[in-house]
Formats: sequence, C-alpha cells, structure tokens
Amino acid sequence: MPQTRRVFLRNTGIGMLGFYVGGCEVQLTPREARQQDIPFRKLQADQVRTLEAFGEVLLPGSSDAGLAHFIDHQLNATAADQLLMIKYLGVNPPFTPFYTLGLAALDDSAKNVHGVQFFELSPDQKTELTRQIAKANPDGWAGPPAPFFYFVLRNDAVDVVYGTKQGVESLGVPYMAHIEPPSRWGE
Amino acid sequence: MTLPSDKVDAIVVGSGAAGSAMAAKLAVGGKKVVILEAGPDRGNSDLISSGIWARRLKWNGAPVEETGDNPVGHVFNAGYGVGGSAMHHYAVWPRMHTEDFEMRSLHDRGQDWPISYTDLQPWYDQVQRESGIAGDAEQEIWRPPGEPYPMSPVPLFPQGAIIARGFEKQGMTTAPLPLAITTSKYNGRAVCIWDGWCDAGCPIGALANPLSTDLPIALAHGTVLRADATVSRILTNETGEYASGVEFFDATGAAGLLMADLVVLAAFSVQNPRIMLASATDKHPAGLANSSGTLGQFIMSHPGALIYGLFDEKTDCHMGAFGGQLVNQDGYAKEAHANVGAFGSYQWMIAQAVKPNDLLGIATTRPDLFGKDLQAFMTEAAQRFAGMTAVVEDLPSAENAVTLSDQTDRFGIPLARVSHTTHASSKSLWQAVLAEGQAIFKAAGAREVWTGPQAAMHIMGGTIMGDDPATSVCNDYGQTHDISNLVIAGAGLFPTSAGVNPTFTIHALAARSSAYLLQHWNSMIH
Repeated sequence: MPQTRRVFLRNTGIGMLGFYVGGCEVQLTPREARQQDIPFRKLQADQVRTLEAFGEVLLPGSSDAGLAHFIDHQLNATAADQLLMIKYLGVNPPFTPFYTLGLAALDDSAKNVHGVQFFELSPDQKTELTRQIAKANPDGWAGPPAPFFYFVLRNDAVDVVYGTKQGVESLGVPYMAHIEPPSRWGE
Repeated sequence: MTLPSDKVDAIVVGSGAAGSAMAAKLAVGGKKVVILEAGPDRGNSDLISSGIWARRLKWNGAPVEETGDNPVGHVFNAGYGVGGSAMHHYAVWPRMHTEDFEMRSLHDRGQDWPISYTDLQPWYDQVQRESGIAGDAEQEIWRPPGEPYPMSPVPLFPQGAIIARGFEKQGMTTAPLPLAITTSKYNGRAVCIWDGWCDAGCPIGALANPLSTDLPIALAHGTVLRADATVSRILTNETGEYASGVEFFDATGAAGLLMADLVVLAAFSVQNPRIMLASATDKHPAGLANSSGTLGQFIMSHPGALIYGLFDEKTDCHMGAFGGQLVNQDGYAKEAHANVGAFGSYQWMIAQAVKPNDLLGIATTRPDLFGKDLQAFMTEAAQRFAGMTAVVEDLPSAENAVTLSDQTDRFGIPLARVSHTTHASSKSLWQAVLAEGQAIFKAAGAREVWTGPQAAMHIMGGTIMGDDPATSVCNDYGQTHDISNLVIAGAGLFPTSAGVNPTFTIHALAARSSAYLLQHWNSMIH
C-alpha cells in the first residue's frame, strides 16, 4: 500500500513535527527529537530540566516520549498549527509565558521549601510538592494558578504518552486510525 | 480562489453547518454565491485521526475575551477553517420538542420562538432525508412527530448495553441515539466503522459534516469558496436601509470589498454579533440591525453533566461514536425537577466513544491522579471505563451577551467579549441531573462512579429571532428586522436553547430560510 500521509502519521503517533538542526528543518517525532538531542528554540536548558523532571512526576515516561520537545516545538508553531491543549482552556496565545513562568514558580517553590531546584528534590519531595500545587498555590507562588499549571502540564504529558498510536496500543486498545483509504485521500 | 469582481447574488460569511447549508440551497436555486471563510482551506486528507491533531479544527481566529462564572468555551466549541465547528461536531441530531418553541406562553420563561414545531417539522424531515440520520423513531418514545429515520440505528457496543442496564433498573427508557452518521451507504457516503474519531473530523464522509454533505453541492453549483478571508464589516447603502456587501481581509492583511444582493452571516453565535457591532454607522450607531438593543444578548451554552464509572466488565469504550450510542429523554418536561428549584429540559447521551487523551479523554476525567496512580488508572479504565453526558437547557438571560472589547485583532477589528453565567434554575437542573446520572451508574453496577465539572456545550443566541422587532434581532427566516437583505443563519437565532444538541435544528432553519429567500428574492433585493 502506498505510504499516504495518513498512514504515515498513524504509524508515528503524534506524527512528525518540524525540528531545526543546523538551520535546516528535519521531520522527527518528539521522542526522536529527544533521542537525537535536538536543540530547543524557546525553552532554556534549566527550563527543560525542570519540565522533564516535573513531567516524570506527572506521568512516568513522558520525558522519554519527548514532552519538552513537543512543547518547545509547539511554542514556535503558528496559531493555525497549534496542537497544545492549553489553546482551548481559556488562555490566549502566545503560550510561552504560561510555561516559562510556571516552571520558574515551580523551581522557586522547591527552593523556598527545600533550598534546591525542583529536579534536585527527592522523589518523595517532588511528589509532595506536586500534590500541593494540584490543590492550591504554594506560599509565594508567582506563576499562573498552580492547579491550572498542574492540569495543563499533566495533560501535555498524557498527550505524548497516551495520545499516540504506540500509547493507545500500550493500553491494549487498537488505534483504528481510519478505514482503508479510498482514492480521495490523495493517493 | 479568485473572487468575482462583479456584484454577486449572495455572500455567505462562514462555511460551517449553517453557512454551507445556506450556500448549497441558494446555489441550487440558481444564485451566484460566494462563501468567505476566515480560517484555512481544508479537505478530507487533513482530518487526521488524533486527539492532538484535531485541535487544528478548533477556533484559531481573533482571541475572544470570556467573562462570567461559566465561560462558553469559545475555542473548544467554535471551529476554524472550511467546515467550521461542524467539522468537529458529534452529529447527534435530535429534534427539539413542541414545548421548546413555546417557553414564554407555557412557562413564562425566556421567549417564544416565532415558529412552532409544526412549522419546522417538514424541514426536519427534508434535512433528515438529505443528510441521513440513523435511529429508531419508534423506540424514541419522546420524539415529536416526523418521518422515520432513513437509516437503521447505531450498533450497540458493551459500554452502551452496560449503562442501559442502569436505566432499566431505574425504570427509565433508552433508545438508539439519533446520529447523522451512516449505518449504510448513503448518497454515496461510506459506512461508519465506529472507530470513535468523530471529533477529529471524519475523512470517509460517514459523518454529515459540510465536507461530506452541503459543500460539494454548493461547489458543484458554482459557489466560490474563499478561505483565509476574515470579514470585518457589513457594508450598507447610504441610507442604511439595506446591506450592500462586505469588507474582508485576506491572510496577508490586504483588505478587499465584495458586493452582493444578499449577505448571510453564518459565522457562529459569537462572531456574528461581533461583526454586526463592529459595522456600526451613523445610521446604525449601536451596530447593524440593533434597533432593539438586543444584538449580542441571550448567549446560551448547555451546561453539560458528565458521569463516569468503572465497571467489572470490559466496556470496549473506544468503540462507537463520539456522541454516544443511546439516548434518554425521560426528564425532558420543563418542570420535571421543579421540587429542587430547577427548570428546563435535558437529555442523556449515553456511552460516548472515548480516547485516552484530550479534554474529553479518559485521563482528564480524573485530574487528581498523577504518577503511578495515573498509570494504573489508565490501564484499567482503557478496558472498563464508561461515561455519559446530559445536555442541560440553559435559560436565556439578557446579561449573557457579546459586546466589543477595547482590544483589537491584527486587522483592527474590536475583539468580542462574551459574558456568560448559567441561570440559577439551569444550575439547579444540572445538579439534579448529576444526581440522577450517578444513581443510574450505580444501578448499572459501576464499582466506582464520579462526575466531571460543568461543561460548556454549544453556543447559542446573540442574534435571536422573534415576532417583535423591539425584543429580537431577526424574524423567523433569519432576516434582520432592520435590514431585510441581511440574514443570520445558525444557532445564534435560537431564542431558547432547548435540552438537545442544536445542529439538526440549525439545518432545518437554514433549509426553511433559504427556501423562503429564493421564493421572495425579488421583493427582498434592492
């Protein structure tokens, strides 16, 4: 069967996204982008570190699935190509401040309580702080509302882990992307 | 696509369910039609089966400022691009009930519609034949009069059968959900395989969205469809008595004018009043067709009641349609829950197909879980989850309105600000319905039952129709009272929201309106 666009995307889960390497765009999945250590364009290294650490608490496996690359890619996307769930949660673009301010607040909260950044916390400390922000703003929290930040990041993690063909099938559920394509699908 | 340089018969603003239906009917009637769509062009090959990619179908235009206690969820409910919000709609097409049209007369609530169910029934029947609905009219004991459905009902999967058990034990009735989805080949459209990807857009044409129904007809009859064309203003003649065309911007920001005998605004319930308010002139200082002062008012959004459960049996919850498998309207009587201060109608949509992620996905039903608890939940719920949703009537209130913001979009058009707070009687009904739903799930044998937050489903009102020009914007054909060749199409016309999904009624109104316009064309055109 010819490799149609739909079949191709079905086989790659979220699908290929355009990442920039040496000024050239290459098509990779977020997971592949992470494996190949593709440079980030919006997020700084410390933000990526916090994001991946937080993602692992929210849903183990999300950092390997390319959570940081997925978000970074989407923060560079045009409005028409936006795929982040935050777009329909009452936040108007641009979305970068939401993520960067939230990650900074997460690190500040870790420092306030334990004197270290979030990624340096013990597993129990990470879990406890996550439990706190899921319910209310910790003292001194300066980012977007903490429970909302938790909700959005948790859903981003779910997207990259369970929103793909591989993720759906890992739950024992067939992905069933489509009926075998008729000619009008552009073969 | 290149636009005609000459005046056309009709401009249709928006290519969603209402706009595409109006365009198709007018074009078949011999009129030269241009559709201006603010969003991008789109074809079936763009409808990727993914809860992530499907987000491209949601509103991506100018930001909408939302206020009030219960925002309408504009980005989630509205669409963007060819096909509009109908591209991600679930094709649940029940009819409104007879009493929905007489709220003021019967209950001293809201406003009466300027038409009765009897007026609309033949148009429901016509649209049903054209678009195809699968269902069982006899089993729908609540259904008002009408022709039987042209297709056999949606198959029942384990999730539906399990929940139906709960309804039966509570002495309640279920029937196949009326869906505008093919259960057999229909007008050349393929048959649904019940893979649950409805809201990602149906690329095989099984679901009656504009790409599979009205747009091909419109285009085959000469309609010009121009995407990436954002209409900023409706133009009027010097005296302000009639509409003469529209001003629009293309994707590069270049402005254009297009003149027409008839302008149909079908840009959904928020953007329609926004454009009309932004089109104010010295002859219409409060916005076009706003002599009543009601333009933008009576915005409604169904408060959705979400019930979830885990069962010991496997539910196959990934199978079926996104809208559900079964329907129950036992509680449709407006005063069925008057004892708790509730008023209004509701229906249950039972056993929606569900995916792991996205706003309506399995993971989002338990936002409190994370880490290993979330993993364990997902593993179990993927096999044993079930859910149902009630569409609850939202009573109209003049305070729930679209107004213009002091902020503007990239074309200099003021943004829309939408305020919405659910009416207290509707809120009471939502709470009563939640309690009923939990009892049904427990009766069905769920070992865990929980509920979701109040969901904002559909957006209606803002340009309501009525007999009295002092209290409404449009007449029963969608013509604005003030400017006869400016016509509104879509759910913005609804004076009340009823307790059912709006799309079937949108189509029936469009069919009725377009037939009237074609019949009275010469007397309407200036």
